[in-house]
Amino acid sequence: MPEQLWFTALLNRLFAGPVDSAMRALGVQPVHPNAPITDFVAMQILVAAFLIALFVLVRSRLSAEHPGGLQHIIEGFESFIKDQSHQVIGPHSEGYTAFLVALGFFILICNLIGMIPGFDSPTAVPSVPLGCAIVAFFYYHAQGLKKNGVAYFKHFAGPFLWMAPLMFPIEIISHLARVLSLTVRLFANMFAGDMVTLVFFSLIPIGVPIAFLGLHIGVSLLQTYIFVLLTTVYLQGAVGEEH
Amino acid sequence: MPDPDRQPDQPDDAEKRSLWIQVARYSQLALVLPAATFVGWLIGIGLDRWLHTKWLYLAGLIVGIAAGFVELIRTVMSSESKQP
Repeated sequence: MPEQLWFTALLNRLFAGPVDSAMRALGVQPVHPNAPITDFVAMQILVAAFLIALFVLVRSRLSAEHPGGLQHIIEGFESFIKDQSHQVIGPHSEGYTAFLVALGFFILICNLIGMIPGFDSPTAVPSVPLGCAIVAFFYYHAQGLKKNGVAYFKHFAGPFLWMAPLMFPIEIISHLARVLSLTVRLFANMFAGDMVTLVFFSLIPIGVPIAFLGLHIGVSLLQTYIFVLLTTVYLQGAVGEEH
Repeated sequence: MPDPDRQPDQPDDAEKRSLWIQVARYSQLALVLPAATFVGWLIGIGLDRWLHTKWLYLAGLIVGIAAGFVELIRTVMSSESKQP
């Protein structure tokens, strides 16, 4: 059985049987039948459960007269993303705020959870940033199709029809490259942040790691901002007026 | 609750935000060319295995490099056209 975090071990103890059955039904043979749930999957489940609980809690205490501290934080984050998407996409950007806020919260909590002893950052594993990038990729194309209909595909043909056979593969590759660049940027920064903190903690365990933990918080916030902002820029490219 | 009369951005906020948007846009320039080249090469290798050919990886690589430059130029042009 592989080494696992306490939360992963708990999930595996409770759900190993049903998960094994589900994987076999999909034609996937689990490598460790006693522990089919990996650390990064368990951490994502925890983050999703935490966010659902957080939003339910804020919703139940929502007050216009006496907003609590938690409500202020959530509304501050939401209005920050809303203002930013308004500035990048322009008018009618409100429809995309819910997705961008959910994506931002998920990435931020995934980045920060690794700082708590006993937990790991799922974004330090390539599959998680890749999953987020794929979701963003499908979302902005779906919104582009919804807004422009079939005419959305004209965008991939380039400015002249005779250039279409050349431009089509170029556009497909450049859009797929966005997925890779979003993935690599988030993964590399979170992985490097974890490694730097770990190395300095091993060398000088007192005092110095605090500075690197501070740096890690800064990197987590910045990478969340960049991921959400680039998704907004790609959305603008798909649904914007100049499209 | 946010003030409903509040404008989405005050001028100072908008200026600072715009600077950060430029920073984030330019930050992707470093990755876009290698990412597109890698994706092109990967697609070429996949096509070579599927079609049992030996030259499509090179075509994929060239198209990938072209796609990287197209995206690079597009990002720079779009950032410059949005500057005040």
